[in-house]
This record gives sequence, C-alpha cells and structure tokens, in this order.
Amino acid sequence: MLGLLIVAPVVSFLLLATSPRLFQQGASYFTLRYIREALSGSTGRGIFDSLWVSTLVAVFSTALATLVAWLVQRTNVYGRRVWGFLMWLLLLVPTWMMTLGWGDLLQPYGAATIVGVNSHWLYGEFFGPLGIVAVLTTAALPFAYFIVSAAMHGLGSEFEDAARIHGAGRVRTMRTVLPIIAPALWSALAIGFAETMSDFGVAFTLGYHANFPMATYTLFAAISNFPANFSVAAVIALILIVSTIPPIALQARAARGRSYAVISGRTRTPRRREFGPVARLGVTAGLAALFVFALGAPIVGAVAGSFVRNLGIYTASGVHLTTAAYQAIVHPSITGKSIGAPLALSNQLGVVVATATGVLAYVLGRRLGAGHGGWGQRVTDVFLLGSVAIPGIVLGVGYIFFYNLSAISTHLVSLYQTLPLLMLALTANALPGQTRFLAGPLAQVQPSLAEAARVHGARRWRTWRVAQLPLVARILVWGWLLTFAKTISELAISQVLYPPSQQPVSVTIQAYLGNDQLGTGTAMTVLTLVEMLGVIGVVLGLFRLLTPRGWRRIGWSGVRS
Amino acid sequence: MTSPSAPSSAVVLEGVRKEFSAKVALDDVSLDVPAGAFLVLLGPSGSGKTTLLRCLAGIERPTSGIVSIDGRVVAGPGVFVAPERRRLAMVFQDYALWPHLSVARNVAFPLAGTSRTKGERTRLVGDLLERVGIGHLAERFPNELSGGEQQRVALARALAADVGLVLFDEPLSNLDADRREQLRVEIATLTRAVGATAVYITHDQSEAFALADRIGVLNHGRLVQLGAPEEIYRRPASAFVARFTGLAGEFPVRVVEPVGRHLFRVTPLFAPATTLSARAVEPLGRDGDVRLFVRSAGVTLLPETVRDGLPGTIRDVAFTGRGYEHVVEVGLGATLAKVFSASRYERNAAVRITLDPESCLVMPADVAEESR
Amino acid sequence: MHTTTITPGIRRGRRATLSAAAAVAALATLAWPAVRAYASAKASGPTLVVYSAQGYDSAVVTAFNKTNPGFTVTLNDNSTGPLLQQIQAEGSHPKWGVLWVDGSQAFAALDRQGKLLRGIVPKVPFNVVGRANIARDGSFVPTGLTATGALVYDSSQISAAKLPKTWADLLKPEYAHMLGMNDPTQSGPTYPLIAGLMNYLGHYTHGSTAAAVKAGEAYFAKLKHNGLVINATNGPTLGAIQSHTIAMAIIQSSAGYGAEISTSPTMRVAYLNPVTALPGTIGIDRLMPVTVQKEARRFVDYVLSPAGQHVMQTGDPQGDSLFWPVLEGETPANKVIPALASVPMQTTNPYVWGPLENQINAWFTKNITNG
Repeated sequence: MLGLLIVAPVVSFLLLATSPRLFQQGASYFTLRYIREALSGSTGRGIFDSLWVSTLVAVFSTALATLVAWLVQRTNVYGRRVWGFLMWLLLLVPTWMMTLGWGDLLQPYGAATIVGVNSHWLYGEFFGPLGIVAVLTTAALPFAYFIVSAAMHGLGSEFEDAARIHGAGRVRTMRTVLPIIAPALWSALAIGFAETMSDFGVAFTLGYHANFPMATYTLFAAISNFPANFSVAAVIALILIVSTIPPIALQARAARGRSYAVISGRTRTPRRREFGPVARLGVTAGLAALFVFALGAPIVGAVAGSFVRNLGIYTASGVHLTTAAYQAIVHPSITGKSIGAPLALSNQLGVVVATATGVLAYVLGRRLGAGHGGWGQRVTDVFLLGSVAIPGIVLGVGYIFFYNLSAISTHLVSLYQTLPLLMLALTANALPGQTRFLAGPLAQVQPSLAEAARVHGARRWRTWRVAQLPLVARILVWGWLLTFAKTISELAISQVLYPPSQQPVSVTIQAYLGNDQLGTGTAMTVLTLVEMLGVIGVVLGLFRLLTPRGWRRIGWSGVRS
Repeated sequence: MTSPSAPSSAVVLEGVRKEFSAKVALDDVSLDVPAGAFLVLLGPSGSGKTTLLRCLAGIERPTSGIVSIDGRVVAGPGVFVAPERRRLAMVFQDYALWPHLSVARNVAFPLAGTSRTKGERTRLVGDLLERVGIGHLAERFPNELSGGEQQRVALARALAADVGLVLFDEPLSNLDADRREQLRVEIATLTRAVGATAVYITHDQSEAFALADRIGVLNHGRLVQLGAPEEIYRRPASAFVARFTGLAGEFPVRVVEPVGRHLFRVTPLFAPATTLSARAVEPLGRDGDVRLFVRSAGVTLLPETVRDGLPGTIRDVAFTGRGYEHVVEVGLGATLAKVFSASRYERNAAVRITLDPESCLVMPADVAEESR
Repeated sequence: MHTTTITPGIRRGRRATLSAAAAVAALATLAWPAVRAYASAKASGPTLVVYSAQGYDSAVVTAFNKTNPGFTVTLNDNSTGPLLQQIQAEGSHPKWGVLWVDGSQAFAALDRQGKLLRGIVPKVPFNVVGRANIARDGSFVPTGLTATGALVYDSSQISAAKLPKTWADLLKPEYAHMLGMNDPTQSGPTYPLIAGLMNYLGHYTHGSTAAAVKAGEAYFAKLKHNGLVINATNGPTLGAIQSHTIAMAIIQSSAGYGAEISTSPTMRVAYLNPVTALPGTIGIDRLMPVTVQKEARRFVDYVLSPAGQHVMQTGDPQGDSLFWPVLEGETPANKVIPALASVPMQTTNPYVWGPLENQINAWFTKNITNG
C-alpha cells in the first residue's frame, strides 16, 4: 500500500534522473548527463547551500528546543502550559505564511510603519541568509521541541541529582545528563535537517529574493521552464532524499537499539529548578520574546498588513488603513475567484486527508515504535525520514507520471485529475512526517496495559477502545490537527493535481499573490488562518467536552502507569 | 510428571518451547499444577519464567508444545486460544493500571460482559477494594496512589475476574520492603480464600518459600526442579538450585569416607584437620573434587574456647532485632554469611563453627560447576 | 457510593463512542461528493478541460457553459508553470483539451511535437497585429494582446519628457541605477522580452540566430553595467519603483496599467520602439477524441466572438483584462490604454525563439541575475 501511495510515484519521478525516455521526457534510456548538469552551476550551489543551511538549522533548532524543553519541564518559569500550546501553534503555521507575514511586517509602509517603526534596514537583512536561517529555525523548532520534551519527560531528575551530588558543576551535569537523551537529540537533529532540506516555502520566497539558491528552489526552477527539465529535478530530488541518510545513521548509532525514551517506568515527578523572582521574570520574558519573534511578528505582520491599503508602496503621504482587501474577498476583483468554495473544498480535503493519514500513521507508527530494532524497522525508519525530505512537487509530478500511465489508468483505475487522487497524494505527503510524529508517543504506551485488558477478558476491539485509544487519543487529535492545517496550506501538490474546476484555497490565494494582488492575497491568507484556527479550536473544544475526565489525565508524551 | 490433563490439574504444560528469532527462551518445559495449588516459578532474570507466564496467559504463543488450562488445550499444534478466552486473571509487575480510569473502573473492568447487574458489580467492586484495604480510594486515579496501593488495585482487579487461574508476574518487585511483606500475605490469603489456582513468578527465594505449595526452579529456559518447598530446600537437584534457594556459603571439600547411603565424612581442603558430616543428594563416587553447600539454618556459632568445630574469624556483624547475623571467614576465601547467634561476636573475633549435617550438602564439583 | 462515579463514567464512554460514530458519518458525508464526482466523471466519458492561466478564464468558462448547456467545460486554472508541467508529465496520455496562456512559444514547442490540432483559426476579422500572431499552420490563435518590454515608470520620480527615447538611451549614465526588470526564470513574460530585444537588436529576419543572441547579450551586459536591477516578478519590480529603489522598469504592459488604476496613481506606461507583442494564445489538443475537439473549437470560437471578448475584458479588470483586442472594431476595456495603432509592436517567431529559452535563460541567470 505504501508502494502505490509513495514509492511508485516517487520512483517514477526519480527514474528520470538517468532514464528520461521512460516517460517520454527525452531521447535516451540511460544517461549520466543530468547528474553532471545538476551538480554544476546554480543547481550545484543550491544543493551546497541547502546542506549547510539545513545543518545549521538542525543544530540551532535542537539547541533552542532543548533549552525551551528544560525551562518548561524543569523550572518554575511562568506560563508553562502556554508555551507548550504556542509550540503547537508554531507547528501549524506553514513557512510561506510566516515569510509572507514577515514581509508584510517589514515592507516599506508595512505593518511596522503603522506604529512608526522604520524597518527598511531590517527588510534588507531579513531577505538574506540571516532571515532564511531564522525563519527555518523557528519552523523546525516545534519538531525538535516535541521530541526532546518527550525524552525529558521520561528522564527522572535523579540523574541530574546524582551528577550534582557527586560534585559535578552545572556544565558537567549537563554533559552527563544530555547523553542519556542523546537518541532524542539525534532524532531532533535528523528531523530538523530533513524538514529544512525539503522546505520550499522559504526557499521560494526568501531564498530567491536573497539570490540564495536552495535545492528545492533549483528543483522548482528546473521544471518551471518549458519544456521542463524533469531529469535534473529528479537528480536534485534524489540528492535531497539521500542527504537524510547520514543524520539517520548518526541517530541510529546514538540510539544503539534504545528506541525513543522511556528510561524508567517508575520515574518520579521531577523536581523543578526554582528561579528567584527576578530570574523567573527574566526567563519568562525570554520565552515570550522567542514566541513573539517566531509566531507573533509574522502573524501581526500579516494581519496588520492586510489592512494597509498601500501595502509595500512608498508614497509621500504615509500609510492608509483600509478594509478594501477584505471587501475584495467578498467581491473578488477577479470574476469567479472568491474564497468561499475553495476554502470549503480545502476543509473537506483537510478532514479526509487528516483522518486517512491519522489511521495509517497510527498503524505504521505502532510498528515503528514496537522497537525490536530489526531490519524491517530500520528500513521503514530510513524510508519514512527520507520521504520527509521529498518535496511536494516531486510527489505531485510523480503522481501524474504514475497514475497517468496507460497501464494504470486504463487497466487499473483512472484517478488522474480527480479529487480522490489529490487526497491520496496529500495523504502520501503527510504520512511520513505524521508517522514519525506519532511513533514516539505510541512507543511510550506500555504494552502491559493492552495485555492486561486481553487477559481480563476484553477482545481486541474492546482492548483497543478501552485500554489503548484513551491513552493515545490526545496525541492522535493533535496529529490530526497538524495534518489538517498542513493540508489546507499545501500548495505544490495541490497546484499540479487539483481536479479542474475544484480549486483548493491555497491555489486561489496563490492566484492573487501571483497576480500582483498582494493585499487580497494576504487578506485571504489571514482569513484562511483564522478559519483554520477556528476549526482547531472547535475540535479541541469537542475533545474536551466529549471525552471522559480520565482521558485528559494522560500527559503530553504518553503514559506513566 | 506429565500425566495427561487429569481434571485435578488446573494447568498442564507439555514440552513447551519458545524461541525468539535465534534465542531459545523456553526449552522443553513440562509441568502440571493441581487445581487450587499455589505454584511459584523461581529463577534469575533471563531464565524464561516471564516467557512461561506469558505463554500461559496467551500473550505469547509457544513455538511448540501443549498448554492446557482446566483440561482444555489452549495452545498446541493448530490451536491457539486468545487471552480473553482463557478465563484467567493476572497481576503485572508494572501494575498495568489504566491511567485514565478510576480505581473503581479499573477493578470493574473484568466484570463487563458478565451477567451481573450494575448494582451487583458496584457492590462487588466495593467489596474487593475493602478486602485489599483501599475501599476509601475508589474514586482516585492510579497516579494518585502509592506503588503499594496501585498493586492492591491490580490484585483486586485480578480477583474481580473470579476465574480459576490467577497469574502473578513479580508483583512485589517494585515495592518497598515493608509493603512487600504486607502485600505478600494478602496475596497468599486472598488467593487461597477464593480457591483459585495461582502461578506466581519471582526471583526472590524467600518470597517463593513463603508463598508456594509447589516451587519450580527455572534456569536457561529449562525447568531444573519442581517440588514442594521443603524438597527444593533440602534436596536441591543441582548446585544452581542450591545456590538460588539460599546458602550461607560453599567451599571445596574432600570425601573422607561414606557413613551411610547418603551420608559422608568430608574435610575442607583448607582445613584438612577438621572433618564434617554432610548429606549427598545423589550417590557420590570416592574420587573427584566435591563442594560443600551450607544452609545458614544449620550453622552454629560458638566461642573459640569451645575446642570443637571449624575455626573461623568474624568479618562482619549485623543486628537484626531478634539477634545478630555474622559473616564468618572459615578458611582461604571461604566465608559463611547470615550466621545467626543470639549473642554478639565482635569483628575479628576468633570463633568456632559447627555444622548440622542436615544443612550440609555435598555435590561433585562438575555438577556444581555445570550450572554456574 | 461507587455508583456515582462508575455510572457517569460509563455513560461518558458511550457518549464518546456515539460521537466517534458521528465523526465517521460526518467524514463519509464529506468524502462522498468526491467519490460521486469521480463516479459521474467516469460515467460521462471524456470531457473538455481548459488549462488556463488567464485571470478572466473562470468568467469565460462560466459564461460559455451558460450559453452551451449540455456539454460542460471544466477549468484547470493555474499559473503557466504548473500547467505546462502537467501537460509535459501527461506525455502521450493527455488530459488537457485546450491550453490558454500568455505567449506562443510553448505552443510552438507543442506544435513541433505534433500535439496541437491544426487549422483551428475562426473566421473572424483579426487586426494587423492579431493576424501576425496566428500560427502559419493554424495550430494556435491569439485571443488578446499585451506588450512585453513596456516602460513602466513613476511619474513622481521622472517626467515623461525626461524618459529615454530609444533602447540605446537606456545605456546612458543619466539612467544609471534607474531601471529594473523581472527574472525570466520566474516571470513568464520576461523571456519573450529578452528574445524580442535580441530579435530587434540583431536585425533578425531568418536563418541563424547566433548574431542576434550575441547582440542581445552584449546589450544586457551593458544594461547590467549601468545598474540594471533584477527582481523576481512584476510585484517586487513594481515595489522597487514604489520604494524609489528604481524609477522605471521594462515589464508587461498590463501590469503597469493595473498598478496605475489600482494602487499607484503615479505609475505610467510608455513604449520604446519596438516592444514585443505578447499574445494571449489558445490551442487545442490533437490527441483528444473528436467529440472533445469539436467542443474545443466551439470554445475557441466563443472566446473570439464579441460576447467572449466582452467577458474577457470584464473578468479581471485590474489585471489580465487590460489587453488590446485582436479583432477589428474592438477597443481596450480601460481608457488608460492607448490605441493599439499608437504602439510600436513587433512580433517574433515562436518557432525560432522558443527552443532557445533554456539556453538564454541560463545565460541570463548566470551573467545578469547572479552576475
């Protein structure tokens, strides 16, 4: 099943690297020409840039995530629940929205100007490697945070205590204790690396404007000419996938058979470090500053920007606030391109894709988390992380190649240009990340809980319903919301696979942004974000309302029995 | 020993083998447990006792062999009965209480699907909780309880199932010493009170002797001895069993002469002047190295002034409340531990030791080494 | 005593089961339209799908469907890039019936591959420039015209009188660091501009393009030397003018008019001699079944009818609707657009310049964008 969903389309695409004739894309059945082509010139530079940026971002985000996780779990910093929640929010906002928000904020006569801050100098800085690394780090931060935080959850403070008692200073204590959660740190590094390698939103916006080619962008550039050079794109895609192998190998070495981190089933509630009142306020302010930077600034930027009439326009008369952009949503300036139907369609896609992905990822994640460390598991692991690095456009075009093959479309099933195929592709796109997302928490549920139910007379279904579902319900709901949000904001696959006359909202927004109608595009983005957050709020509210009290006793990262 | 499933046997295992990829966890284990008996499986970690219990519960499926419960084959060639259809209950080492359910609902779990009315169930749950001494905690959630309390909940849940067979997977190993003692008594009395057959695994010999009607000793996936506690203690089948069921110490000896069919005079290699009487579990040849295994119960500590017995030196002394336990060095590297005396001997004091022949076992060294 | 807790707990559990069932039902309801649409699409056989990147396309398709009940045309509305990627990836099992995008070079390439239906030109009165942009074999037709390489400037920064008069003027020191343009790998209408300038500067008529390409490259190198600023697309380039980073840019005429009538009243459009015609072009898939081709022809006829032209001119009033009609007697929708006759417009041969796109864009990226 994974074969039809991910492997076949991606392999169809990758085959073009050396064999363009297979899908009528060139003259030869075998050539190395495109590999040479991809490794030289700006594509070569793009690969190099992506590699070092991804490495840097992985390191930064893991370090920052470890610090935040420690503060939230092990100190008396204020608002600990709030920070955890904001991490979730950060996870849900796609990078292109972040970039759009930052742009709107810092633009000449953007949102910052409303309050009288001249941000022009920063605008220049932001559109450079600095801005790229900053935005990508904030994007990778939540992934790293949830992995590290789960590990810290399982790490009793007795390890710290023991080190301190035996005379280790703060630094040596950290050096002693961190290796215990090393598998989690490596895991965070690997996922941060893969997510950054495959990110297109930032590469396309910031990377391009800064004359800073990144691999996903050069891949896009290779296929945006006509005729498109799918073969060079395939080589880049192959490099993206292969580049995730070293981090996984390092992660596997660090883990050495230990899977994620339930270090002890009997860990006591960890003691928190008590900051003094001043330090406590200071540290809290630091965390707040982090989230203002990561989340607040772009959101405020986009929201405020959508009310500026002359957004990004220099005139002598200053900024003008207006709701024109929102009126344009109700009365679209382009006939027939309102946001209503696309938004409804995207929500529908989001619900179906998130549910399908949730079920599949649950099944796969349990297998991955079962932790026998055998070959099968390792292959699945490599495959899943490698797939995280597959850009959406590769999957999208691969889907066209594979599902439009006459052997498939006439003899098996003719799905191309239908909603089901778009749903399949979006599911395939979300599945690898979602599986890795669920694997850790699922692995923490001790098997004895299900065994106890079976032994005491419960059949499989009741065992699952009573002794498993409640323990993982919360993480499943959050995973569902994550896929839901990512599906609504997904652009690359939607663009090439959406069925005629059924446009998802991201494509509609892109039509306005690409048609020089920044105000309307931003306003639609804000509206979509608000609607999305509304759905998320409703789902979380329903979860709270409908589930028994005990379900909510389960910690973020699984179970302590 | 492997009589076909007579109705009087609650559990019968015949040639049960379990492999995990290349590793053999259980190797040709056969045993039967009479109905209503309390069987304790004793063994070090990795001996296969947990695997055996999980095969009984139906959580694992044996690679080969037959498992019967109450005369019904539950695992065998072409047969495998799911755990929920085996009509048994189990107490887990990590308690396995569902953290999202209250104590009362945890205990009520096995009652679902029975013909009892809601009122009956509620009454029964209340009753059971009272019997394990935590009636006042019914509304709490597991993580609000101490380890001992949690395991009482698990015990109540197992008893609520009201089935003929209760399995215990090292239920006391996560508890503090005093809690362990209390709960052990409750397990022994309550299980017997409901008339259930019990299979209980542990690596703690004192727990085994305190609880068991019968003890099975496991090592490297094999059942090395099965018998009444007294038999295991007095006539261990191997040096491994002797060591694992509690020794004061052991040292090499030479056989001087047989005294009776099983009784020999031996002399320690480090003290050729002294002779001791000892029992052999199996007949001994005249030649070859043998080792003497000493149970602490048979060791008597005397002042040096008594000229009789083995000379020794006190290395350590510990106050136990009702008296003192000493560690006595009797010769080159040979020490006897847990040597009880009502009076205290100071460290480095010279003493004399006498050994009751009933507590001294001799075995050939090769047998002794075999299962090290 | 325990009743109080166990009972509500169980009831809540039931409620959770019920709500799970409700969720499943809701999900099925949501997924159902997709399945139904799929099933009905299968049942009704091949349909005409219009692949279009025009801002007014959904208005046109809606209007066409209204006047032609019985055969529903569906629209794949996308940017030009994804549309061409789809067509290329579809290979010999195409799903597109009509392609409708700006520029004719992609059509020339498709025609060479034998993928276009020939002889589709409707019998309507084309004007001179319109006629010049019809494929000789009748495989593609212009539906409207814009100019690429229009000089869009901010009249608050530079007055019309001080504007350059010729392409050569742009190399003068007085215009240093004042000019911008788009990146041809990012912005569809930019390669036609570059090709058009090469065509003009090399006095190309027929035969080898080598001399023309060389002349063009030399010209852009000099522009670069004179401080040419490259931005990705119209948006950032117009933004650069508005932020006074530059004063003028050579971009697509409709983008300049769009800015003038919406957000930047000081924006103006001027024309150096010559600018290059960028026709909105339409073509039909040769591999489609005859029934679909017949419908496609009707669609093309409709687009070039007075009714179709009217919808095109009103569908995207601040964007793509700001074009010159290709038909005699039709005038531009907005008064800011001058008469077509007043614009010095040349037409380049897409069969000649289309195949050079990758090579020239690569040169441009290396030496101008990143140079």
